[in-house]
Amino acid sequence: MAGMRVNLQPAYILHSRPYRDSSVILEVFTPEHGRISALARGARRKSRGGSAAALLQLFTPLLLSFSGRGELKTLTAREAAGAAVSLRGDRLYSGLYVNELLVRLLHRYDPHPQLFVAYGDTLQSLAGDGGVEAVLRRFELKLLDELGYSFDLRVDGHSGEAVREEAWYHYHGEYGLVERGGVTDPDRPAYAGADLLAIAEGLLEGPAGPTAKRLLRHALASHLGDAPLRSRELFRSQRSPAPGRSET
Amino acid sequence: MNFSPALQNLIEALRCLPGVGPKSAQRMTMHLLERDREGAVALSRALQGAVDRVDHCSRCRNFTELEICEICSDPRRDSSTICVVETPGDVLAVEQSGSYRGIYFVLMGHLSPIDGIGPEEIGLDLFYRRVLEEGIEEVILATNPTVEGEATAYYLTDMLQPEGVKVSRIAHGVPLGGELEYVDGSTLAHALSGRRPVE
Repeated sequence: MAGMRVNLQPAYILHSRPYRDSSVILEVFTPEHGRISALARGARRKSRGGSAAALLQLFTPLLLSFSGRGELKTLTAREAAGAAVSLRGDRLYSGLYVNELLVRLLHRYDPHPQLFVAYGDTLQSLAGDGGVEAVLRRFELKLLDELGYSFDLRVDGHSGEAVREEAWYHYHGEYGLVERGGVTDPDRPAYAGADLLAIAEGLLEGPAGPTAKRLLRHALASHLGDAPLRSRELFRSQRSPAPGRSET
Repeated sequence: MNFSPALQNLIEALRCLPGVGPKSAQRMTMHLLERDREGAVALSRALQGAVDRVDHCSRCRNFTELEICEICSDPRRDSSTICVVETPGDVLAVEQSGSYRGIYFVLMGHLSPIDGIGPEEIGLDLFYRRVLEEGIEEVILATNPTVEGEATAYYLTDMLQPEGVKVSRIAHGVPLGGELEYVDGSTLAHALSGRRPVE
């Protein structure tokens, strides 16, 4: 890719890892340049009143400048574009989950301006008092849509007929939703037509919530490949008894 | 021109160090062979010795040559308070502050799903058992004040608080000798929200 210079572009950091003594390599999400890897030189060095690392944190709206030719850009300037979104407990894990989805699924330099806005809104909603599940489902739907993996929740992708409330459907990576025939296959999850129509209406909170969760997990899994999403472990082990806990 | 195989091997081997590229590795190799052969021998012995003998302490996971490290086996230390840190370097930093007399647990990292590091990789199952078995009274969370460090701290809190263990988090705020004017906004916000009544 040709040399590029980007001036104070809105950005969020999705992931950072230490590099050499005092630098970090950042995975950055920007609206116009999509996901970028950038090197922040000396970000961990001590300076008066704390290092630059204080600003270069996850979930903080930033303005970043980059330059460079190769895959790895160099960060040339940084400014805060708002207060860091403060997430706690499960909401923090949800934020890490969303970041992991983006790092795993976004291709570098694919612009997704609308997804960027959705990401910012998702963080704000996670920081609020509302339910977390519906926020995550909405983001997952948006992500699939932006990546071109969306499927119609109202139409059977194989027969082309409208989804019926009383019927059951399978998810198929190629066609989307396909009505389940007479035989029930216990290995393939089935989704109730009524729930699918509710999800299509945006009713992600009510009784269709669990269906939406299973369906989107299934749909995302087919694009994520074999490696599981590690951020899910943070929630899962919260719910099951902690390891080594004695039965009482 | 190619270097002799042994030379080439050494250059390749040195490149396993973080931040050492082909050029630096070549320079180091030339220096060791030409100017400091004694140093090279000492280095190879020290490396071999460290790799053979140094392992993780079975209680705190810090590096040690013993089964249980010196800090864990020191009877003068308060074994009812345990401080959780990310790296052996953090243990050193807390020790140098001279203000802590309890014991440690070293995670050797922090929760970072994208890097594939979950609760098990940082030994949280081991830690959980240990806290319950040894009747630890207070757990001090001294993970870094980064988002990942906070996530690790929350995870530990969720795990331990239901067991009736006192869990505390180190304070963060304005550095000593610092000037408010130059402190970044997030740090200052933390310092304000974590303010204490003057006693």
